[in-house]
Amino acid sequence: MAEIAVGIDLGTSNSCVALMRNDKIDVLPNTYGEHTTASVVAFAEDGSITVGNAAKANIIHEPENTVSSSKRLIGRYFFSEEVKKAQAICAYEIIEGANHGVRINIRDEEFSLPEISAMVVREMKQIAEAKIGEPITKAVITVPAYFNDNQRQATKDAGKIAGMEVLRILNEPTAAALAYGFGRGLNQRVAVYDLGGGTFDISVLEIGRDVFEVLATCGDTFLGGDDFDDRILDLLADEFVAKHGVNPRNDPYAFEKLKFAAEQAKKGLSLEEEVEIRIPDVMTVEGGECLSLQRTMNRSEFASLVQDLIQRTFKVCDEAMQQSDLTTRDLDGVILVGGPTRLPVIRKAVQDYFQQEPKADVDPDEVVAMGAAIHAASLVNAEAPDSVLLDVTPLDLRIGVAGGLAEPVIERNTPVPIEQSRRFTTFQDFQESVKIRVYQGDSRTDSENEMLGQFEFSGFAKARRGEVNIDVTFEIDADGIVNVTAADPATGQAASTSISLSGGLSDEDMEKILEQDPTARVAAAATPDGSDSRTAASAPAPVAADEEIVLLEETHDGIDLDLEIDDDANDGDLELISDDLSALAAESNDSAGSSVIDPNAVSISDLDGEPDELVPLGNAAVEVNVNEGNAREDLFDSSNKDLSADDDETELE
Amino acid sequence: MSDVAPLEIQALAKIIDELDYYQLLHLETNAEVSAIKKAFHATSRTFHPDANRHLGDELREECARISKRVTEAYCVLRDPRRRKAYDAKLGGNEGLRMQLAEAKAAHARQDTEERQGRTPQGRQFYQKAAQDIARQDWTSAQQNLKMAMTFEPESAFFKEKLEEVRKQK
Ligand SMILES: Nc1ncnc2c1ncn2[C@@H]1O[C@H](COP(=O)(O)OP(=O)(O)OP(=O)(O)O)[C@@H](O)[C@H]1O
Ligand SMILES: [Mg+2]
Repeated sequence: MAEIAVGIDLGTSNSCVALMRNDKIDVLPNTYGEHTTASVVAFAEDGSITVGNAAKANIIHEPENTVSSSKRLIGRYFFSEEVKKAQAICAYEIIEGANHGVRINIRDEEFSLPEISAMVVREMKQIAEAKIGEPITKAVITVPAYFNDNQRQATKDAGKIAGMEVLRILNEPTAAALAYGFGRGLNQRVAVYDLGGGTFDISVLEIGRDVFEVLATCGDTFLGGDDFDDRILDLLADEFVAKHGVNPRNDPYAFEKLKFAAEQAKKGLSLEEEVEIRIPDVMTVEGGECLSLQRTMNRSEFASLVQDLIQRTFKVCDEAMQQSDLTTRDLDGVILVGGPTRLPVIRKAVQDYFQQEPKADVDPDEVVAMGAAIHAASLVNAEAPDSVLLDVTPLDLRIGVAGGLAEPVIERNTPVPIEQSRRFTTFQDFQESVKIRVYQGDSRTDSENEMLGQFEFSGFAKARRGEVNIDVTFEIDADGIVNVTAADPATGQAASTSISLSGGLSDEDMEKILEQDPTARVAAAATPDGSDSRTAASAPAPVAADEEIVLLEETHDGIDLDLEIDDDANDGDLELISDDLSALAAESNDSAGSSVIDPNAVSISDLDGEPDELVPLGNAAVEVNVNEGNAREDLFDSSNKDLSADDDETELE
Repeated sequence: MSDVAPLEIQALAKIIDELDYYQLLHLETNAEVSAIKKAFHATSRTFHPDANRHLGDELREECARISKRVTEAYCVLRDPRRRKAYDAKLGGNEGLRMQLAEAKAAHARQDTEERQGRTPQGRQFYQKAAQDIARQDWTSAQQNLKMAMTFEPESAFFKEKLEEVRKQK
């Protein structure tokens, strides 16, 4: 008996569940016969929870007790731009949780984002179970390709909380391409243009008979159909203010009505040249007068409202084309995914950009769930026809080094699964531990990237500086999820960690949540060594001076501690070690004679006997004269090369 | 599903550290990019853990290990600059693997060597020439660049600099 596993497209606005059985793919409708279900959760006064279109209808009545677009918040830090934006437009209360995570406060109860998303997953699970007539416990869940590791982990947690074994976190555009090309014996290059409610992804793929290779993926996790609505809403609100002198934005009910009307108008413009917007009772003002709103909007007016948003998607497309080393001419097809791609203004723009008509035989609302279902079937059923999916990582994976920098270890659009290691060594005699900070993003400035987490490693032999080797291995698995391991090759000791903010949920949090709902309990994933030491990331706060680490090149003779580098270059930014090896090589050849640089060997030092940070040395390096406990962060500040002792922290154990 | 025999997976996993990327992907050392891609697909098709779902955990872990190495090989070989650095490494018996960042660094090193000289003497004379140029002493600069070029006659960069200095005179 073949096992059953569903594919779930967990969307910002709408979710969809599909199942493949006997080579047939079915989208499973909800009890109303709808193929998609609104990703909206309404909390009633009596404690009951409604998910779906009924919940969505509730927004107008109880905006503060109805959570929509929660996918925009999942796996985010509370202080992120995205959360601030959401706070500005969401009527429900978004508050800060532990580890700078995000919580939603509804009727005096706090929920993490994975818990909210889990309610939607559970709804999809129940829809499928009702249709299939048996329990369903396994799923492939899709995420925007551009999701970072924190967002992926949080989504996986949502699945677990909902009582699902998440077989794979699959990228939405990849799923769409799979549904498009599956079993058709194609040999094509295609672009998937996926504009959803809240996210935009573009992926370029090469589709073979049984291999799907993603060549590049780029995206914007804060651009979607909702933003189109906001443009209409802004216009309506401004006109309302001009006419009546009261701002409907200040009244949550009026605001939701305008928002609803804006979305209806937008959707209407997919079908009609012109739509009428009419809200008989926007709000009642002092004196009991009921103010209404009425106006028409045509396609060209709408187009002018959203033109810049559409252009933003093509900027991202440019990047993807460039990263895949292709031009639009090389593409055999363009697949449109997501509700907004039904808009003529988008179709036209896409057609102009790619110089070809998008594929018509793809349902933009269902194709992602269908692809997820195909993959799910192949993962549980050896007999199911399958294609191997070779995806890429969307963001640079970086390690934090001193000077506030983050050095790339695995570049974006590198295929996964992949593993890369770098060798570090201690910088102080008998150093106790090192701290490893891991980031994702495209900035050389650490704080401009997403911090995935940090961990300390102390399981290495304590020895003189430079005599210890620490191999740090960065792995990105087929889910796009990051694992970092530190090991001492000499002792064989290792610390393995799957690092994540994960919606601010620590392992203990997860356990508690799973315990609350015994039916939802599933085995928590453990790392291979059984110590699931997922560390909730602490804030990407500036690293204290006493946590500094120095990263040095290792020569074959050991560490050149008093490496002197011309500080002329120090005016500029600190350079990444990988860019600078040549300079280092040149320098050390001059000063140290025969030493050879191993580009992979860098060192971690603990300048003050505390867990620490990495510092790159390079063109821009300063004169490094490290005396025990006598160095601190400003050592690496280009404007201040003084070495001053950090009085409190100079003692080494 | 892949129809690879468990024994083959185990055997490959065992010797994987002894294979260079060409051997791993069954490629000639002069293989074209299209052949590299084809080999990447075929090898992934055989050893990707997803294609071996039906096997036990242990074998799938071996598959994951192989897959990751295969990806690495592909990333190095498909990129001409990385591949050049890797070939040099192989030629010099300096190891069978190349970390992706390492390949980039090797390339950066090549670049700087290009610019500042590969040989100590070339570098030395170039530096003198650079000082001359700063002082606008074109005659001396020309001499020093010529000296540098006797040690590195192939340097396009030195040639270019010399041309510039000649024009200044
Ligand atoms: N016919 C239509 N014309 C225009 N826009 C539409 C239409 N139908 C839906 N939309 C818009 O599409 C958006 C939702 O798209 P979709 O359901 O593809 O997103 P999602 O999958 O929930 O989000 P994401 O993929 O970003 O997580 C909403 O902004 C909705 O207003
Ligand atoms: Mg979607």
